[in-house]
Amino acid sequence: MSKIAMPEKKLLRFKNKGANKKKTLNKTKRGIIQILMTLVAVLFATPILTIINYSFKTTRELYLSSPLALPQSPNFANYISAFRKLDLHVTFTNTFFYTFVSVAVLALLCGAAAWAIARNKSKIFQGFYIYFLLGIFIPYQSLFLSIYIVGFKTGLVNTRMGLILMYIATGMSFGVFLMTSFMSTVPLELEEAAKIDGCSVYRTYFCIVLPLLKPAIATLTILQAFQIWNDYLMASLFISSQKLRTITLAMQLLFSHQASDYTTAMAAIIISVLPVTILFVSLQKYFVQGMTAGALKS
Amino acid sequence: MKNVSKSFIFILLVVFLCSTTIFGAPQKTTVSILAGISTTDDGIQDIITAAVAKKYPEISLQWEIHEWSDNFHPRMQQYIQTGLPDIIIGKAQDVATYGGQGLLAGLNGKSYLDNILDAAVPGVTIDGEIYGMVYNCLYQGVYYNRKMFTENGLEVPATHAELADVIRKLRAQGITPFATHMVDTWSIGNVVMQFAINDVFAQTPDWGDRFRAGKVSFATSPEYKKCYEYMKLLYDNTWTRETFSLPQIDCDTRMVLGQAAMKVSGSWSIQNFLTIDEDYDFGIFPFPNQSGDAKLIFEPNMTFMKSATTKNSAAVDKVFAVITGDKEAAVEFYNLSRTASMLKGVSPTFPNPSQKDIDKYAAEGKLIDANLGNNQLQWGGFQDENAKDIASWLQEMITLDEALKAADSRRANSKP
Amino acid sequence: MLRKKSINRFEKLQYFSLVLPGLILFTIGLIVPMLLSFGYSLTDWNGLAPTFSYIGLENYRRFFSDTFATQAWNFTIKFTIWNTIIQNILALLFAVVLNSAIKGEEIYRTILFVPCLFSAIIVGFVWLRMFSNVLPALNSLLGTDINFLLFGSAKTVLTGLLIANNWQWIGYWMLIYLAALQSIPNELYESAAIDGTTTLQKFRHITLPLLAPALTICIVGITTGSLKMYELLVTSTGGGPGRASTSIVYHIYNTAISGRQYGYGSAVTVLFVFILLLVALLQLSVLRKREVQL
Repeated sequence: MSKIAMPEKKLLRFKNKGANKKKTLNKTKRGIIQILMTLVAVLFATPILTIINYSFKTTRELYLSSPLALPQSPNFANYISAFRKLDLHVTFTNTFFYTFVSVAVLALLCGAAAWAIARNKSKIFQGFYIYFLLGIFIPYQSLFLSIYIVGFKTGLVNTRMGLILMYIATGMSFGVFLMTSFMSTVPLELEEAAKIDGCSVYRTYFCIVLPLLKPAIATLTILQAFQIWNDYLMASLFISSQKLRTITLAMQLLFSHQASDYTTAMAAIIISVLPVTILFVSLQKYFVQGMTAGALKS
Repeated sequence: MKNVSKSFIFILLVVFLCSTTIFGAPQKTTVSILAGISTTDDGIQDIITAAVAKKYPEISLQWEIHEWSDNFHPRMQQYIQTGLPDIIIGKAQDVATYGGQGLLAGLNGKSYLDNILDAAVPGVTIDGEIYGMVYNCLYQGVYYNRKMFTENGLEVPATHAELADVIRKLRAQGITPFATHMVDTWSIGNVVMQFAINDVFAQTPDWGDRFRAGKVSFATSPEYKKCYEYMKLLYDNTWTRETFSLPQIDCDTRMVLGQAAMKVSGSWSIQNFLTIDEDYDFGIFPFPNQSGDAKLIFEPNMTFMKSATTKNSAAVDKVFAVITGDKEAAVEFYNLSRTASMLKGVSPTFPNPSQKDIDKYAAEGKLIDANLGNNQLQWGGFQDENAKDIASWLQEMITLDEALKAADSRRANSKP
Repeated sequence: MLRKKSINRFEKLQYFSLVLPGLILFTIGLIVPMLLSFGYSLTDWNGLAPTFSYIGLENYRRFFSDTFATQAWNFTIKFTIWNTIIQNILALLFAVVLNSAIKGEEIYRTILFVPCLFSAIIVGFVWLRMFSNVLPALNSLLGTDINFLLFGSAKTVLTGLLIANNWQWIGYWMLIYLAALQSIPNELYESAAIDGTTTLQKFRHITLPLLAPALTICIVGITTGSLKMYELLVTSTGGGPGRASTSIVYHIYNTAISGRQYGYGSAVTVLFVFILLLVALLQLSVLRKREVQL
């Protein structure tokens, strides 16, 4: 009983450590820093505000008035036009599906691989670790034709499965790297106890380790989800059918060098970025908690 | 709880993965299309799908659309490895690139070819076999603000002396002579080719072949050097500080708002001009050449090609027959993209202020095919790389001689 | 004794089977194409024709005399070095500021992080218009004449790209530093305060060493990311003006496709991967030494 209560206690300790804030600044220093930080935030927010501003303008307002001017009246026509151009009822479901499944399976597989590597000090498993890490250095954009040929030979081109498997393949490197650094947060005592109780390696992983990796999974979700959501290259390589398109594929024509319909393009940007932003905002605290608890204890 | 949610997710995954096999089950004859288009052509898929559905409801079209200059060629490369789609929509120059490799089906003898203007045929014929069906064409030249010219007492220049005069008078009025957007390397490449068509290829139609045979070169050709120098003329008479940073639509906006008088461009700009101001009155004239006899350039543009390995040959023929036969659909497309027709007896109905100039040059027989140049020198890997060197030269990073020599160094890549 | 060994073997197999699925996917998806590309790098394949011939290491020799590849390489290195310095310092700085007791930390955090949620293609698109439309409009508003057209000249294009890239990624690395800062136990600072150390000394002797793992992740991450830069250029400068902002991956992509020289492009890719590995190994060996265990 007490052995199961232990991880909670350990996490509590980390939670309190998270509240480390320097309370040693005096008021004027704090004031200056507050103002400077606000300035920085405004600078960073300007492009985003511009996008939002443009997305509500009509094309004539865009061409003929100053870029800094606000639209005369909020014009939702761009959003409707973007919905249509992006074929949103198809592409949104597709992108969501690909992202969700890829991240879920990645979390499972990376956690499994990282845990197996962390619990096996033999050279083979350390070799696996380095092997996975090699992937970080491969710029898969330049391998595009080779990837396509491999995808074609395995019959995975133009299928949902194929794209998801490619996302997993390219996400393994970073995922394993991240998960390995979280392994120190999983107390060995719990695993030993499970072993003594007669759990197999699989049961230990799925029933004990995986639940404890929740902050790790939250971190991986945030860091990987938006990269898959925004991916263009892999999707363009594997998907040609209209039914399987992602949002980024549908957006392509809006961003070509000849593009003239900025306003729809800006509305499209907002639409495509909104879901991941919501995901981030809701998972924010788990992310920081997760990073605090273990990511950096590698 | 945890077990329930886990198995729920698992079942969900299984259901989703199974559903991949259900999708894609063929119902009617499906004809696959790979289209490389420009942004101005967006909407072609709806027009053609509707036209085909009306006449042949048993044929369903599966579209894959890409931007011609960025994504179309990589896709072609991929499909060449694995099997081209039934129909390929590209530009007329793609016939030269892909037809020579045995990838396209010959269309000789098909009845629907009779609907196409004769002028469109030579550019898509290789060794007597026609490989493409040209649907529309663009005009390329110098678009000018008619009102501005009249107000300032300017005449359309036919020689360089006259052009210099026009530039001088515009500058005296504080008007930027040329509108440019050199941030788009393709624009530099296109403009230089326009110059070359009237200064090099009109006199020596096989200049490209001679170039590859080593008989002529960029470094030793005074004509091509002149073309590069015209580019400098534009650069010195435009918004020099902004041009490498100004997207096309902003350039066109400035022109419509009266900040510039001329733009060396093509029909693709018409859509922008008229969207910004539907009453904008513009004309077109060919950029003067050294001999003062420059002709207006027309470019056979959207071209339909059939894959040599298609399994739906009869269906493709039906689709092609609809495309060339449905005049309403054609007019709808020409109006949408503001381009000119390549079908016999069909003309667009959108108000085109430059139409009277086009008709004038056509009546005088002063039209010249852009593919005279584009079929001699490959765009991708040659013309576009040369354009980058020109940009580097204009930015004073290399000399003119170095830019010309760099073009020569790419000799091997110049064959379309 | 024998029983223990067989159990261990059986266990080892189970562990191995946990690694296997990921291993297979990774190999087929990334390593096999890499090997395929290596194979193509030894040929003169143009990516289109069904046939090609074996030309050995000719492509590799060509790379060293290819002035455009060298130019792209120089630009990429310059970009990477500046980026690594600026992004790290600013991310750390902002993290330190957010870690001090200022109000609205979550809002600042969100605003700085959100830019990385945009794809690089969009970031390039937006910043081209920021520099050519929006920021120059400030000039008319404020009556100034600052040159905002950073993408318009070969001399300033690097600065423009640095600004765009940093806007996108500073928040991401800042979060990592922030989490690292928050995991440093307060007791260390308090005992140092009792000993009378200054803020700067506290930073140098407590914060920095304990930040070492985060520094490793961030420095290696920023460097590899900068070296691989491609998408940012597509919608902003297109590698220009001329070739002034062509990165090595952009050059590879261009040569392989429009240049129809997939064999040569593959060779440059292989060289690039080697160099990336070298750089990362160098960085890791230097940085890992400085890490301190908590």
